[in-house]
Amino acid sequence: MNNPTNDGPIVRVHGVHKFFRRGSERLDVLNGVTLDVPEGEFLGLMGPSGSGKTTLLNLIAGLDKPSQGEVRVGDRLISAMSEGELAGWRTRHIGFIFQFYHLLPVLSAYENVELPLLLLPLSAAQRKQQATTALELVGLSDRVRHRPGQLSGGEQQRVGIARAIVTDPTLIVADEPTGDLDAHSAKEILDLLCELRQTLGKTILLVTHDPRAAERTNRLMHLDKGLLVEQRL
Amino acid sequence: MKYFKLIFRNIGRNPLRSLLTSLVTIVLVFVVTMVWSILWLLDIVTTEKSENFQAMVTERWSAPSHIPLSYAEVLGRGAARNPGDVRPLDSMTWQFYIGTLDPEDPSSKNMMFTIACDPDKIAAVKEGKFTTMMEGLESLADGQEDQLIADVAKLKDAPRGIIVGQNHLKITNKRIGERFKLTGVSITKGLDLEFEIVAAFPPGRYDTMAVFNREYFNNELDAYPRSHNGQKHPLADRSLNLMVLKVADSAAFTRLASQIEKSPELSDPAIRCETMASGLASMLEMFRDLIWGMRWMLAPACLATILLVIANAISISVRERRLELAVLKVLGFRPYQIMVLVLGESILLGAGAGLVSAALSYGVINWGMGGIAFSIGFFDRFMVPVDAFWWGPAVGGLAALLGSFLPAWTARSVKVAEVFSKVA
Ligand SMILES: Nc1ncnc2c1ncn2[C@@H]1O[C@H](COP(=O)(O)OP(=O)(O)OP(=O)(O)O)[C@@H](O)[C@H]1O
Ligand SMILES: [Mg+2]
Repeated sequence: MNNPTNDGPIVRVHGVHKFFRRGSERLDVLNGVTLDVPEGEFLGLMGPSGSGKTTLLNLIAGLDKPSQGEVRVGDRLISAMSEGELAGWRTRHIGFIFQFYHLLPVLSAYENVELPLLLLPLSAAQRKQQATTALELVGLSDRVRHRPGQLSGGEQQRVGIARAIVTDPTLIVADEPTGDLDAHSAKEILDLLCELRQTLGKTILLVTHDPRAAERTNRLMHLDKGLLVEQRL
Repeated sequence: MKYFKLIFRNIGRNPLRSLLTSLVTIVLVFVVTMVWSILWLLDIVTTEKSENFQAMVTERWSAPSHIPLSYAEVLGRGAARNPGDVRPLDSMTWQFYIGTLDPEDPSSKNMMFTIACDPDKIAAVKEGKFTTMMEGLESLADGQEDQLIADVAKLKDAPRGIIVGQNHLKITNKRIGERFKLTGVSITKGLDLEFEIVAAFPPGRYDTMAVFNREYFNNELDAYPRSHNGQKHPLADRSLNLMVLKVADSAAFTRLASQIEKSPELSDPAIRCETMASGLASMLEMFRDLIWGMRWMLAPACLATILLVIANAISISVRERRLELAVLKVLGFRPYQIMVLVLGESILLGAGAGLVSAALSYGVINWGMGGIAFSIGFFDRFMVPVDAFWWGPAVGGLAALLGSFLPAWTARSVKVAEVFSKVA
């Protein structure tokens, strides 16, 4: 497990502002967001469409930079890192789960899961071992050779989860992971996320519109008008 | 490489597009290969002139030329009389022997044109280097050079041996190791010789000429009176047809030519000394515009077309895959790695198509058609050089690299946050 040296929160967002420019217009999406996520928490993030949930997630995952403020993950101040540094950092520390799975169609389930490992200095045997373990965890050991096109939405998302956890990241971020799934598959995915947290102690950030998904988290935040408020369940 | 699988799979993703792109590349690389092969050949023919100057000595006032064999010794030293005179670096005597395979039907299809000469001048190894006095043989491939050296050794061991042209193998219907007889015609009428084929020239070189030991020819000339009531053969005193001399450069040639043409030892009959390439150069001059066009218009146009076709195919596939490339970035692929993926894909496609094209042109032209009739200098046929096997992939790969550079750059600068946001 990735144990940060200090016992403080694993994610610290401090006074973050983010705006985009569209031509001459300035669009303020985040207006001073502050958020601490302790290790092992399953945090839900809700909010109306366009409220900036994905934007916040991107900042935490090192895919974008805040206009103002700081983002720390583990012991790194990622808002100050270069794009190249961030790329290497993401491979080791962030597992990203997408709404539309975004598996590479030309690769098998196994190869999709193995992909992030190619970026790490691992032997073929080590890669095989880690990818196999990840696929076992999501219950897809019997589907390793299938291409994404041959898998159901729920199965594809499980491959997506296996890919997200295969490098044993510090933090898992999931952007509406059940948004494209039927109720049954959605429940399976949520069960899986809960299990990851309970058995492996993973820290998970979940963006969702689905109240049933929100119920499963152990803390829920609401993003509106660029500000974050805690919501009681 | 670990990403090779991914690159390879991406090529297979849209097989029709990849196939069409490769087909266009194959056709165009084929054209470029042909053009370059021809230019390569012409380059050899023309550069030979400036480096190793070959001079040709013939009878001045009469053609065909017949000069006394005794001239050979004088010419071999360039008719040098004074200490500062130029001496040829090497020399070769040419004595023509013309015969027919069938005395009943001495038509041209049975005729063989041969040269009696010193085998060492055909090919030899001097100071570890391959040398030849026969124009056109200096541009053989390494393996062919070794083969020719071995063939010349065989010729030296067989007094009646002959190295024939590829054409002769067909008209005699004989193979290496077999024998055949020629009945002398024209200038060599009355001299009937029997030969043993020890080897053949490499295809495309001296296809219609053969060479054999001059000792055999001269012994037969000397023996002629014994079977002809003491009468000498008409050629007896003038059996040397031409002599090839090698000099370092054109300055040396000018001096040599004047030494020879003024030499009192070589005045009856008078002789002429000219450059081997003079005829060749004027012939090439006629094609100058054509050659210029091939080199500077046709080949670049083909390259530009390959470039555009590949650029088009790759930019379409990059646009289609924007999302996937963004996902790769999320997983931690660095911009340069994304670029390598895209470039790798197009280079593999271009170089692969280039290789196929080279193999096709080599196979079809050299084996299938036995070369293309293209007579220039001492080349009778045009063959695709082995070098095409690296030109082809290099041309295809390079055009692909240039063509896909821009799309690859677009791919590397994909902004993840934008791709995944609503504005994308
Ligand atoms: N790269 C960008 N350039 C310009 N505007 C952007 C960019 N990314 C996001 N936006 C804008 O910022 C706002 C917030 O977008 P974001 O994707 O974070 O919303 P969201 O809360 O995730 O919405 P949804 O629930 O629909 O996914 C939107 O108005 C969006 O158009
Ligand atoms: Mg969103």
